Amino acid sequence: MSEKLNQLSFVIGVFFILVALVLLIGYATTTSLKHSINLYTGLGMMVFGLIMIRLKA
Amino acid sequence: MSLHFADYLVIFIYFVFVVAVGFIIKKKITSSNDFLNSNRSIPLWITSLAFISANLGAQEVLGMVASGAKYGIMTVHFYWVGAIFAMIFLGVFMMPFYYGSKARSVPEYLFLRFDEKTRALNALTFAAMTIFSSGISLYALAKLLEVILHWNFDLCIWIAAGIVMAYTLLGGLTSAVYNEVLQFFLIVLGLSPLVIVALQDAGGWDTIKTNLEPQLTHAWKYMGSPDSNPMGIQFMSLIFGLGFVMSFGYWCTDFLVVQRAMIAKNMSAAQRTPIIAAIPKMFMPLIVVLPGVIAIALTKSAMDAGDYRIPSDAAGGYDYTMTLPSLIAYYYPSGLLGVGITALIASFMSGMAGNVTAFNSVFTYDIYQAYFFKNKSDKHYLNVGKLVTLFGILFSIGTAYIAASFNNINDFLQLVFSFVNGPLFATFLLGMFWKRTTGHGAFWGLVAGTLAAAVTHGLTIAEGKGGWISPIYPVSSGMGQAFIVASFSWIANFLTTIAVSLFTKPKSDEELRGLVYSLTEKVYGTEKRWYLRPAPLSIILLVITILLNIIFF
Repeated sequence: MSEKLNQLSFVIGVFFILVALVLLIGYATTTSLKHSINLYTGLGMMVFGLIMIRLKA
Repeated sequence: MSLHFADYLVIFIYFVFVVAVGFIIKKKITSSNDFLNSNRSIPLWITSLAFISANLGAQEVLGMVASGAKYGIMTVHFYWVGAIFAMIFLGVFMMPFYYGSKARSVPEYLFLRFDEKTRALNALTFAAMTIFSSGISLYALAKLLEVILHWNFDLCIWIAAGIVMAYTLLGGLTSAVYNEVLQFFLIVLGLSPLVIVALQDAGGWDTIKTNLEPQLTHAWKYMGSPDSNPMGIQFMSLIFGLGFVMSFGYWCTDFLVVQRAMIAKNMSAAQRTPIIAAIPKMFMPLIVVLPGVIAIALTKSAMDAGDYRIPSDAAGGYDYTMTLPSLIAYYYPSGLLGVGITALIASFMSGMAGNVTAFNSVFTYDIYQAYFFKNKSDKHYLNVGKLVTLFGILFSIGTAYIAASFNNINDFLQLVFSFVNGPLFATFLLGMFWKRTTGHGAFWGLVAGTLAAAVTHGLTIAEGKGGWISPIYPVSSGMGQAFIVASFSWIANFLTTIAVSLFTKPKSDEELRGLVYSLTEKVYGTEKRWYLRPAPLSIILLVITILLNIIFF
């Protein structure tokens, strides 16, 4: 894990997955966040985050 | 505009990550070289993204969106005439000297190529400029958050400065560079949805072209005469002033960006850093110019009170600077609003950290070590580097408060910056490609170029600025005036450097080996695959850039 944390792509991936989760969970549970732009952006960031954490340093 | 829990959570996650990056990097910092130069060990994709991210400070992001709204699609000239060509030139022709000379900074290269006084002049002006730029980034961030979110101005300054200080002090240049890459993705991914929804709202590009004056949707068509385009300049002034003098002066000589290429792992990676960076740079107008053009199109076609409009300033005109924040406030709901605000904060912090890390390298190596304590231990310079970072941040805070007291300090600084940076490329061009150039020639050329810039500014007037000697030449935009000032300063530097060099003694060929083109061994094709070599990559980029200019002609 500590080796992974030294990879910038992994750190960036985790960051965008967390932001995506805020948008997606917010979309699913909160009225004020229920906008399709939050859903699409969240999905886009999730895909980007997953790609980044799969990248080799 | 008001934020909800989800928005604050996104901002909080961002702050945690940037400081965490500092902690992760901290373990690797054992020498002054690690702290100030990243020990020349950073992978190519990181140096390339950091290279353009160092130029993605909020003044640039907000400024380009504002210019997109004010001047229309002509703003792409900063990318497709200015940046791309200069970045390719830096990679192909100049990096071999910067990297190959083993100089740790641009002023140190000037010392090796010319002499001590040329280095001192460049190091002192650069150090002062970076601190002022960093402070103005901080001021602008706090002011923006105060205006759009009604946050406390002082608190914004101290929290933002504290976070930048934490990660730059912990991990030095590497930490700043890593965060710049995170900030790059955040800015691109955070602002892309805005472009899509705003473009959709405006009815697409074809509708925008129908609704706007043609001068705002063509890059070149109306540049035959200064009277027929919103920038008020003719195409030759643009090509020489922006495309050659200002862009090459910035991208090829400003240590803030060049430093990102100088920390690459090897010469091949250093050369490819600005060239690879040119690929995303080429498409940045989609993120930072197009929103401005969309905003002015939406404003001009607004029918109802609820439709989007660019905010007005005190005089009743458009407040172009607020174009991007107002678009974010209008189109982004809670959640994504936090992402948009975080992207703005990221761009301000990126600009500030870039300036501080460039400042601490130049101050430690080119001022402290060069003039005060030459032969101390590496541990000593590491500690000094950290101390300089701390003081750099504190000076930036001081500058931010000075900026708050004077409503025109940013204009003044940009002006002085153009006076100093404008002529600098002539010094490098002659120094690298004409071995007869002498230290006296370089020094007096820089002085003459700066004076010529001041005189030209004093004789031209645009938007109420300049003309302090005699306003004999009116220019319709401040940007057009900047191109003219830069052009004259470059010519004065170029001619003075040549004249003084011809009457003073040059360095011997032996001293100049590896520092000038004619005395440096040419290394071709170190990479086996053609697409990894600087020259073929550059040709492809040049063709695409020319095509983009033709498409938006």
